[in-house]
Formats: sequence, structure tokens, C-alpha cells
Amino acid sequence: MSSKHLKFTRLVFLGIFILSLHSCYSVRFVSINGDEQPDPLSSRTDYYRDMQVIELDTVITAKATTQDINYLIKESSDCKSGRIHTIEFRNTLGGVLLSAITFGRKRKVKIKYVCQLETN
Amino acid sequence: MASTIAHAKSEWDTLHHNGPFPLKTLYITELEGEGNLPDKFARYTDAAHEIQRLIQETKDAHQGFRAYGSRWSMNHIASHHDRMHYNGFMNMHIPTFATDMNANSNYHTDNVFFFQCGNTIKRVSEVLSAHGKSLKTSGASNGQTIAGCISTGVHGSGLDVGSVQDYVVGLNIITGPNPQDIVYLEPASKPALNDTFAQKIAGRIIRDDEIFKAALVSLGSFGFIHGVVIEAEDRFLLNRYVQKIPKKLALELSTTMDFANSSFKIPQEVDANGKPNRPYHYKVFINPYSKETDYVVEVMYKKPYQTPYPDPFPIIKESIYRDLIYVFIKIAEKFPKSIPWLIKRLRKTILPLNDLERVVTGTLPEIFWDAPYQGAAFACSFGVDHKDSAKALQVLTDLTVNEGPIPGIFAMRFVKQSEATMAFTKFPITCMLEIDGVLWKPNRRIMSLNQYGKRMIEELKKHNIPFTIHWGKNADWDHPGLVEHMFNPASIKSWQKSRAALLSPEMQELFSNHFLSDIKLKNQVTSPVIEPNDPIT
Repeated sequence: MSSKHLKFTRLVFLGIFILSLHSCYSVRFVSINGDEQPDPLSSRTDYYRDMQVIELDTVITAKATTQDINYLIKESSDCKSGRIHTIEFRNTLGGVLLSAITFGRKRKVKIKYVCQLETN
Repeated sequence: MASTIAHAKSEWDTLHHNGPFPLKTLYITELEGEGNLPDKFARYTDAAHEIQRLIQETKDAHQGFRAYGSRWSMNHIASHHDRMHYNGFMNMHIPTFATDMNANSNYHTDNVFFFQCGNTIKRVSEVLSAHGKSLKTSGASNGQTIAGCISTGVHGSGLDVGSVQDYVVGLNIITGPNPQDIVYLEPASKPALNDTFAQKIAGRIIRDDEIFKAALVSLGSFGFIHGVVIEAEDRFLLNRYVQKIPKKLALELSTTMDFANSSFKIPQEVDANGKPNRPYHYKVFINPYSKETDYVVEVMYKKPYQTPYPDPFPIIKESIYRDLIYVFIKIAEKFPKSIPWLIKRLRKTILPLNDLERVVTGTLPEIFWDAPYQGAAFACSFGVDHKDSAKALQVLTDLTVNEGPIPGIFAMRFVKQSEATMAFTKFPITCMLEIDGVLWKPNRRIMSLNQYGKRMIEELKKHNIPFTIHWGKNADWDHPGLVEHMFNPASIKSWQKSRAALLSPEMQELFSNHFLSDIKLKNQVTSPVIEPNDPIT
């Protein structure tokens, strides 16, 4: 391979690398009301310190007849109220490519969410 | 039935990593479901009995017990090396009605609210807002539990308002495992609720001014504060301004509190004669390493609630991105002399400079909204008479610059005197002079936080400036004679005597911790203090 080609290949890889960096991002939606469900046993040291965080990293497959995909938030020990307080959505290059390659049938879901503390 | 899970633990830490502190057992209690026990009083007393069961269990094991909420205190005041109880799920609100009011009460029925201990300031404010009401003041944020706030004396910067404990009008305290150990306590001179209400939640009613004032700031050692009765007020708006003003003027306002005759004037905030209004809140930010001739000040003026007003959240939500600071602190630990330079570079993230000339209007809970967790932090906070504020600031900034540098900046807030016996806001208007920053690791180039705390105490003493220290902040807490220096003997005696009136010697021991030992307030008073003719029903 000539040095010209090598340079070009490196540039392409560099471009893809930079593109992948920019295509990875997260957005956090936070309710202005209510307290987050606490987790007094948590030892996290990030934004979610003391919060009961549910992390979801999965691929949802849409049926041919399905237009909308609803992921249900149900009451559980980690989400006693069944109501969302904070949700962080993370987009990755892999997720975008998967959706593109499968024509939207497979959708990568990488989220963290915290439910509202039950009020009494 | 309320249920508790006991977790075996070896250590516990504060939210801001000021520990860790040793711990054997962590209790987490959850209320019985509302569907199973719909009556609020039944659910509340059910929880009280569960707490009593835990107290009995702890007593039988000859161990100690301490309740905590959001663990925002930055020292070991909330910790116990034996057993701790997490209160955050105990967050009931029990409505009170005109029929619940004491015949001698001067409180407006609509302003009296009853909350269980684990309600956060945010939740309390939401309940009040739903009734068109507001807290009179809060701390700088909203995550602390109501019981935690009053136990440590949380304050804002209300010149004429006071601290959180100053609008508490009644307390429901669990002082032991027996039926009569569930106490409803309120001042005899200002009763709020009647016996019928009190008997639904307590086995004993005490109306006593001295005991009530002592129990307001209890340092967590008057038993388990289960319920808090507060006096709210009509919802109001605050207009917030951030300005740069000459240092001399900022300090003149701090030492005189004379806003009406000051040259500090915000055109929209004047009276009919054009004289400046007295603000609700006044705060001064001080970078001890800056030679600038101005200080940044934050002032707020109270206004009647009315809609519409501009959405305050676009400005309030701008959380500070601190990750960069942590990188810088790592540099600072190795090269302390770089701290002034680093703080100068970071001034836009640690001072509200982006808010200059931007007016924000919002309710109290909107203005003092969420403070996201930002990592390991320290805060040292001294209370001095506002007349001494400039002198104390000079003394402490000189110390910080000459013997530091320390990675933090100073601020001054001003709070009306509290009636609580051991309130650190004990001066007519107390200036809370605080330095906040990021925790660092001491080495031969930079002194430890404890050494810094010790030197601050020594310098204030050397310059004869009377002071107190915020109970929930960092300090050299076992400094010899510290509490005796901060409070007069009568106050200390009254506080200890009142504690003994509520708690048996055995329960005094159970509800004591290392913090109480460090400040030498653990000493038991064994003689019963409540006299037969005291107004106790």
C-alpha cells in the first residue's frame, strides 16, 4: 500500500473515530417536582448518589405492525410509585447503526431512570 | 405494619464524603401501604410503634441509636457507631383542621401543618404550595429532611426571618420504648394543637417553654423526632438580583444592616420616598485570593404572590459543572500555591457571575431549588454578630491566605436570632461566615481540614470575636472548651436539664454519639426536671 493510501485510510479511521465520539451523548430529563426515590444502601458517587437508579441496556424489537414502542414503567421495589422523576437517555453510534441497518426494527435502548418517591 | 430491614454494615458516610464513620447496623423502615391502613393517624402511630420496637431492640443489645435523613450534615453529628435509622421513607403529611387547634392558640389554622420526620424541605414546600402557603425560609437548597434541618439549625439568609427551627411550633418525639415515651411537646406560652389531636399521636403531652426551646436544636440527641408541626405563611415571591458592589459598601451593609440609608439601591426596589427597601435576603460572596475592589452580592426582596411571573427555571437550573474543579483540586493538592490562580480561573463557576444583571422572580422553593450532588465537599461556617462580620471576615481570610491557601471561597449570610437554646444563630442578627469548597487530601504542603478548623477557632478567639459554629458543618469539634466558649453556662445547663427531663439516663446514653462526646454535652443529668406543677397533662 502506498503511503498516500495509508494516509487516506488513517484519515478515514480518524474521521469515524471523531464521528463516533460525537454520536455518543446523553440527555437527562428531570421533573421539577417531587423527590427521587432514595437508595440508602447505594454507594454511587455520580450524579445519582443516594438515588434508586434503574439502568436499562437492551434492544427492543418492533413488530412489522407496530408503529410505537411503549416501554412500561411499573411499580416495583425499585420504583415504588411507578412514576418517573429523572430519565437519562444515551445515544450511541452502535444504536444508530443498528436501527439503520434493521430499518428501525431493532432499537437500542440505553437509559437510566429514577422514580419519584411515593408521597404519603 | 410498618416494616424495617436491618442491614449489617461496617461504615456509613455523609452525602459529601466527610467520613466514613463506623456503623454496625442500618435500619430502614417503610410505612405500611396506604391501601392496607388508610387512616393517617393509624399509619403514623403504627410507624411510631415500629420505631419503639427498634429502640427496645437496641436497648436490649446495649447499643446506641441515631436517626438520620438526607445525610447532608458534613460531620459526624448524624452518625452512630452502633445503630442508625434511615428516615427518608417516613414522609407522611397529616392535615390539621380548626377543630385540632388549641383554644389558646394564636396561630391561624390555615398556617399550621403537621409533617412526619422524613419529609424533605422540597416535599414540605410542595404540600404547602398546594394550599397556597410557603415556608418562611429554607436553607440554600431543598433536600434536607425537616427533622434534620431543625436538629442542626439549618438557615437561609433571612435577615428578619430566622432559621428553619424558628417556625416549628410543636414536636412529636419518641424518647423510649414505653407508651408514655411518645411525647407531644410544644411551648406553654404558644400552644398550637389541642389535647385531642395530641392524644392521637402521643402518650404524653408536655407544654413547657424551656424544654421546647432546648428540643428545637437537639443535635439529634433528644430522642427520635417523629413529627414536626410548623407554622407556614401565605405563598410569596422573591425578586433575586446579583450585583457587584464596592467591598466597602458590601461590608458596611453587613455590619449595619442599614439598607434604608445606604447608597446601595436597586431602582425597582425602593419605597414611596425613593429609599431602598430592606431585602428579605442578603448574601456576600468573597474570593479570599482576589484583589478586586468589588464583591458579588445576592439580594432578594419579598413580594406578594401573583401570577403570571417569568419562568425562573431557565436561570435556576443552570447547575454548576464541577468536574473541572476536581481535576484542579488534584493539582492543588500537589501545588497549593496554584489555588488562588485556579480559583480565579474558576470564578465563573463558583460565583454567580453569570446571573449579574439578570433578575429572577420565583417562589421560595423555586429560588432555593435542587442542588445536584457535586462530589466530596467541605464547609466551615461560623456565626458571629453581624456587627463583627467585617472584622471576622478579615481575620479568617487573612488566615486562609497566609497559612493556606485552602481550596474554597467565603460567603456571608445573615439570619435573625433564634429562640432555640443551642441555636448557633444566637446573635440579634447572626452573620454566618462560611467557607465552602472541595475536600482535599492534606500533605506537607497543605494543612488538613481539621487543622484549618482549629486555626480558625484560635484566630477568632485571639481577636476576641464571639462566635458559634454551624452544627452540621466541619470544625475542630473536640477543641477544648468549645461549646462553653460559644454558649453561656445557663444555656448549656438548660439544654442538658431539658434533655434529662425528656430522656431517662438509659435513653440519654442510647441517643448519645461521638459528636455529643466530642463537644462534651453527653454528661447525663439524672434528676428528673419536670416538676409536679409543670403544665403537663
